[in-house]
Amino acid sequence: MIDINAYLGHFAFRQLRHNTAEALLRLMDSRRIDRAVVSSAAAITYRNAQSANEELAAEIKSHRDRLIPFAVLNPAYAGWRHDLRVCSEEFGMRGLRIYPHWHAYKVDDAVCLELVREAAARKMPVSIPFRVEDRRQQSWLVDIPDMTQQEAIRIARAVPEAQFIFGNGSGFTGSELGRKNNGLPANYSIEISLLSSLAGNEVGQIIENLGAERVLFGTGMPFHYADGALVSLQALDAPAATKSKIAEGNARRLLGL
Amino acid sequence: MPNQMDRRTLFKALAASPASTAWSAPGKVIDAHNHFNFHARPTWADDDRKVMEAADRLGIDQLCCSILPPERPTTMEGFRLCNQWMAEAMKRYPERVLGYVFVNPGYGQAAVDEVRRYVEEHGFIGVKLYNDFRVTDPQTAPILELAAKLRIPVLQHAGHTTWLPAPQPNISDAGHIAEAARRFPETMLICAHICGGGDWEWSIKALRDAPTAYFDTSGSVADEGTVEFAVKTLGADRVLFACDLSMTTSVGRVRGAAISETDRRKLLGENMQRILARRIR
Repeated sequence: MIDINAYLGHFAFRQLRHNTAEALLRLMDSRRIDRAVVSSAAAITYRNAQSANEELAAEIKSHRDRLIPFAVLNPAYAGWRHDLRVCSEEFGMRGLRIYPHWHAYKVDDAVCLELVREAAARKMPVSIPFRVEDRRQQSWLVDIPDMTQQEAIRIARAVPEAQFIFGNGSGFTGSELGRKNNGLPANYSIEISLLSSLAGNEVGQIIENLGAERVLFGTGMPFHYADGALVSLQALDAPAATKSKIAEGNARRLLGL
Repeated sequence: MPNQMDRRTLFKALAASPASTAWSAPGKVIDAHNHFNFHARPTWADDDRKVMEAADRLGIDQLCCSILPPERPTTMEGFRLCNQWMAEAMKRYPERVLGYVFVNPGYGQAAVDEVRRYVEEHGFIGVKLYNDFRVTDPQTAPILELAAKLRIPVLQHAGHTTWLPAPQPNISDAGHIAEAARRFPETMLICAHICGGGDWEWSIKALRDAPTAYFDTSGSVADEGTVEFAVKTLGADRVLFACDLSMTTSVGRVRGAAISETDRRKLLGENMQRILARRIR
């Protein structure tokens, strides 16, 4: 089982537990999660995100067999081209994670598109969370709206050669993003940490509309309990082969493992 | 339906899963806060059935539900219809679905009479209050006093945000509920959705010194640590498992929490059983 959406490090506005490599691995063991894509939680609020990427690289140095690093970069900040090269070539980071709203740029700003194209050229998937935490509980210091599904659609259209992972979201089937035959490039996958497979069964609807190949298991731990996504996957009314794709196969293909 | 599991089967599979924590002997599982759908919604019957199917698949034995109308402020016609539909739902799912009577306290004696009638004549187990009035508003007092007499809980919608302009001007937060608990110590107040009401750390801390008030664990927010923080701050006797329509996230939250199995059993059902047992029949 591969978790496509995990973090290490501190977050500015709330205590995270299980946020060191060793603690996260213990949590993963207890949930039988074999490997996890990790990015830095600190990078969300550091001005210079590359410092957080350096911390992440050092933290997981002895655990590369199980922890797969993604670089967090801010294309509106000086030096991102150099940082992307370092993250990719020196740190061996397998993907890119961006926070357009937290880092105060638009998804279709030229610098953002340039960063995404550079990542695509390096075969790095681009992970974009719709939210870091629920807006209702944000600190009085920030007011960061969720990324909208229209923004996700715009960036998917703008860089068709990229592979996007959209996570920490819900309500996909109410928008073009999660609809069948939507005319969008099939260059994005949807991660299930906040999706249910029961009642409204959004996971099942996305499988029906986009195909099981474009659904990824992710937990959002340690921001989130891992068990919400685990329960959703376990309760999903689908053949074992479909669940296996979501739990692991799709992530393997996307990450080239 | 392919791969459909009967009631309890999935629950056992979940409990036995290597990915699960030990949720192997939970006793009766009671969801303290859930909803059925307003009947103007074209898909209400199907949506209600899906809630029950989800409960089946997740091993939830009983659901304490209310129906709320979409418009605010709530009209008397609106809450009367909702309570009538809720009574019908209880008949469709006897012993499985337990009803909260929903009222707007602004209707004074009519609201009080509605509560008494549905508790005494239809076996409803509690009162649900939304955001028509704050729980500390004098208008709400007769409802809280009656609930104490009938020995039924009052589930109060709540939330505390620090930044956004309040979309619900009369919403109560945990601080208001703590104040109401001090004024009405005989009333069992339940603060709704730890995980659906904004800053959950603030809310849990605000409720700490109101020992007669409970918190339910429902909501769509998946934040790790919420249940542990509630148990540590309030004590396990004051925390109630609930979903509020976020079924898998809410089950995952309590299954994943690093608490003792004794405490998990309290959350999952023992605490709510104790509350339900107090009702005058």
